[in-house]
Amino acid sequence: MKSRRKLWGALILLAVFHALILFAGFFAPYGFAVQDREMPFAPPTRLHFTDARGKVHLRPFVYGLKDDPANPGAYVADTSELYPLRFFVRGAPYKVAGLIESRLHLVGVEGDGRLFLMGTDGYGRDQLSRFLYGGQISLLAGLLAAALSVFLGVVIGALAGFYGGWIDELLMRGSEIFLALPWLYLLFAVRAALPLHIAEWQVFLLLVAVMGLIGWARPARMIRGVVLSAKERKFVLAARGFGASDAHLLFQHVLPQTYGVVFTQIALLIPQYVLAEVTLSFLGLGVGEPMASWGTLLSSLQQYYVLSSYWWMFLPALLLIPLFLGYYTMADALQERLKSVSL
Amino acid sequence: MRYLARRFVHAILLLLAVSFFSFALLQLAPGDFFDEMRLNPQISERTVEAIRAQYGLDRPLPVRYERWLGAMLKGNLGYSMATNSAVAPLLRVRARNTLLLSGTATALAWLLALPLGVWSAAKRGALGDRIGALATSAILTIPDMLLFLGLLLLAARTGWFPTGGMVSPGIGEANFWSRAKDIAFHLVLPAAGLALVMTPVLMRHVRAAMTEALDSPFIRAARGHGISRGRVLFRYALPAASNSLISLLGFSVATMLSTSMLAEVVLSWPGLGPLLVESIFSRDVYVVVAVVMLSSVFLVMGNLIADLLLFVSDPRIRLENE
Amino acid sequence: MRDARPAVFETVKDEPLVRVVGLSKQYVQRRGLGRRAFGLVAFEDVHLAIHRGRTLAIVGESGAGKSTLAKCLALLEKPTAGEIWFEGKNLFARGDRRGRLAMHRHVQLIFQDPTTALNPRFTAEEIITEPLVIQKMGTKDARRLRAQELMEQVGLPARSAAKRPLEFSGGQRQRLAIARALALEPKLLILDEALSSLDLVNQQTILKLLADLRETHSLTYIHISHDLRAVAEFADDVAVMSERRIVEQKPAAELFAHPEHPDTQALFAAMPSLESIYQRRLA
Repeated sequence: MKSRRKLWGALILLAVFHALILFAGFFAPYGFAVQDREMPFAPPTRLHFTDARGKVHLRPFVYGLKDDPANPGAYVADTSELYPLRFFVRGAPYKVAGLIESRLHLVGVEGDGRLFLMGTDGYGRDQLSRFLYGGQISLLAGLLAAALSVFLGVVIGALAGFYGGWIDELLMRGSEIFLALPWLYLLFAVRAALPLHIAEWQVFLLLVAVMGLIGWARPARMIRGVVLSAKERKFVLAARGFGASDAHLLFQHVLPQTYGVVFTQIALLIPQYVLAEVTLSFLGLGVGEPMASWGTLLSSLQQYYVLSSYWWMFLPALLLIPLFLGYYTMADALQERLKSVSL
Repeated sequence: MRYLARRFVHAILLLLAVSFFSFALLQLAPGDFFDEMRLNPQISERTVEAIRAQYGLDRPLPVRYERWLGAMLKGNLGYSMATNSAVAPLLRVRARNTLLLSGTATALAWLLALPLGVWSAAKRGALGDRIGALATSAILTIPDMLLFLGLLLLAARTGWFPTGGMVSPGIGEANFWSRAKDIAFHLVLPAAGLALVMTPVLMRHVRAAMTEALDSPFIRAARGHGISRGRVLFRYALPAASNSLISLLGFSVATMLSTSMLAEVVLSWPGLGPLLVESIFSRDVYVVVAVVMLSSVFLVMGNLIADLLLFVSDPRIRLENE
Repeated sequence: MRDARPAVFETVKDEPLVRVVGLSKQYVQRRGLGRRAFGLVAFEDVHLAIHRGRTLAIVGESGAGKSTLAKCLALLEKPTAGEIWFEGKNLFARGDRRGRLAMHRHVQLIFQDPTTALNPRFTAEEIITEPLVIQKMGTKDARRLRAQELMEQVGLPARSAAKRPLEFSGGQRQRLAIARALALEPKLLILDEALSSLDLVNQQTILKLLADLRETHSLTYIHISHDLRAVAEFADDVAVMSERRIVEQKPAAELFAHPEHPDTQALFAAMPSLESIYQRRLA
């Protein structure tokens, strides 16, 4: 069925994307804070197979860059030196998931060669590396916050739907208040209430906590709806007839009915939260320098000269498209399956 | 009638709860504006305390809330410590600008989404519908920020449109029409961008609502009676879908103060968005809270209006609640 | 109003398995914020006696409150008045919550529609063993064996233990529901219109299965039905429910021969050949 293929396609795309980000250290030629002061705003390095003399090399190579005397600030290729691309090189150390140390990088060039596949920013930092490392911040923030929101939504929605009565009233009134506040504004306001200059990891955790704690209302309502109808099912009544406890009913019969909604909500919330983190960081309210977050990568675009002269600074934003495509497709496919099952 | 009164009271209570929430937020700010002042060796601690007392920041919490709420209701939204002016007039101007932008964008979006949505629902499965679905999905997966940045780049590179602001410098003295044209000229890019972002979502919802209406048995019976396609679409299906559409409209109105935030910041439109961001940086908490409250009021009122419209248009809701 | 105390009390001498005395169930609905409350009576002042090893059929038109009565008897709902005595013990005596919980082992309910009564995500084996899991009886292997035993007893092939309810036919699903009900070795089985959703052929086979099981498991049945034919074939005693009350209760033979209450007579008027069906059965 089409929705199954869609789902698998989306999952594979997402898995690849997330693997790249998780193993950022391996795939990135450089660290995220490494500056090359001599190469600010260098354009993306071109890979060549044929050299100036017309000889074809099997292994791709790059040229060095030197300043273009005609255009101050621009660069021109220095064809005197060839730097072949090497695979599985030893480079700067990094930690995988903060635990395992390694020095192995997928690609690299030796000596004075520079491999800036996505160009550099104003400090001469490799944008590709910063994109991969930035993903660790932005994507992780989105994932954690979405998980938190949905978890809260399940707990609150299940309690409200299953027990009804005053618990339901109380919880649903609470959710109304949260829904009456525009989400993004609320996020900003809460961020405003927190100290501006605090340690990076604190900002990160705070961001995740705030996003997660604000966004439980909609998932909670949806889950409550499912729970309300699920608990009326005859097989739940039958299980009561065997003397089942509330816990048994909830975990064995009622909550499994919510899985479809849960996964769909997660798939929809992740891009929303990633975008929120990006927005905050873009405006300087999120994770700050030198940590890379996708937002910080894009924030230099607010300056006119960057926007009009250095097109490669857009690339991080473009690379977000496959990520969103993956999550939205997944959410679509899940919603289709939900509809066909419940009919 | 009682239903309407009940909904209204409900909205008021909700806003009260929101106000309390916002106020609590206010108090949460660990560093306030005066920390900066305290660091200044030329200002004595006593002066700081005196100013704080003037702003009423030294009283107990419930008293402060009461005074704050009372002042708010009278239209006094506090004092912007950063710009040294009252918040209310500041907000008024910015809110007006925001409404101008989002109002235009919303109207544009609906003008596009409604016919497109209805048409693609009517021609479900046909090539046009599928292209439409593809296009909406494509636009949806592009993050809003990228779209706005792209538009900015377009303006910068081509010079067809101004790259920011609402008015050109020095236009203040010109006559009304010149000023209006100038504003309109500046409005094009942000409004177009915002409308572009809104339309796919709206169109999907319209299409879904129409599809549901078209699938209902009574529509098929109408076709079976030989009523023409066009008549069925406009005189039968559209009214049947109107419930969802009215809710959608209410939602559009409700979010009018908040959807344009990113567009305003990226494209430098002087609305509530940039104000909020500036206030956060300058720790101007009264402005922050006022902006949140104002947009919340809009949201709740928007939903209330949607409820009212539904009540008026759908006899079933009237019956249920009388 | 004729005394509804059933004549069955007199004709059968030993102590009934279940005695229902003056049972009533009323639903209270609140409108708005507790202003107007109106009550909906499901059934009122019900007296029944169910004797060991016999089948009591409760008949009446739909909407007479039979299903709610079934749920109360199976302890799935609490009655608003009256008592239920099981094996001489008052079920709703104060502080006997534990006793009521244990009651679930003795009384089981078979629902009308097996498709909704079985969780479509569970396998047949999981469905049958769920009661054992809930009551914490047996090890995993012991439970699996029991499931296979029960499947055999209801006529389901043991190899379909891993199948899900949707992979079975309607009749097989009801068998599955019966197997599940038997897991805790109940003494009383309440069949709430258990045949109504099946086609005629399946109805016959399930009826036969129930009759066999009655012997092998020493079961007592309460059969709630609006199908008088099935009742004629299956019931020992019959109680007639009309307008939320029991209006008449007699052994089946007597009732079919001499229906007294006007509602009973009206019920039978639609089916003139009932007595002959019953007679055929005795022959």
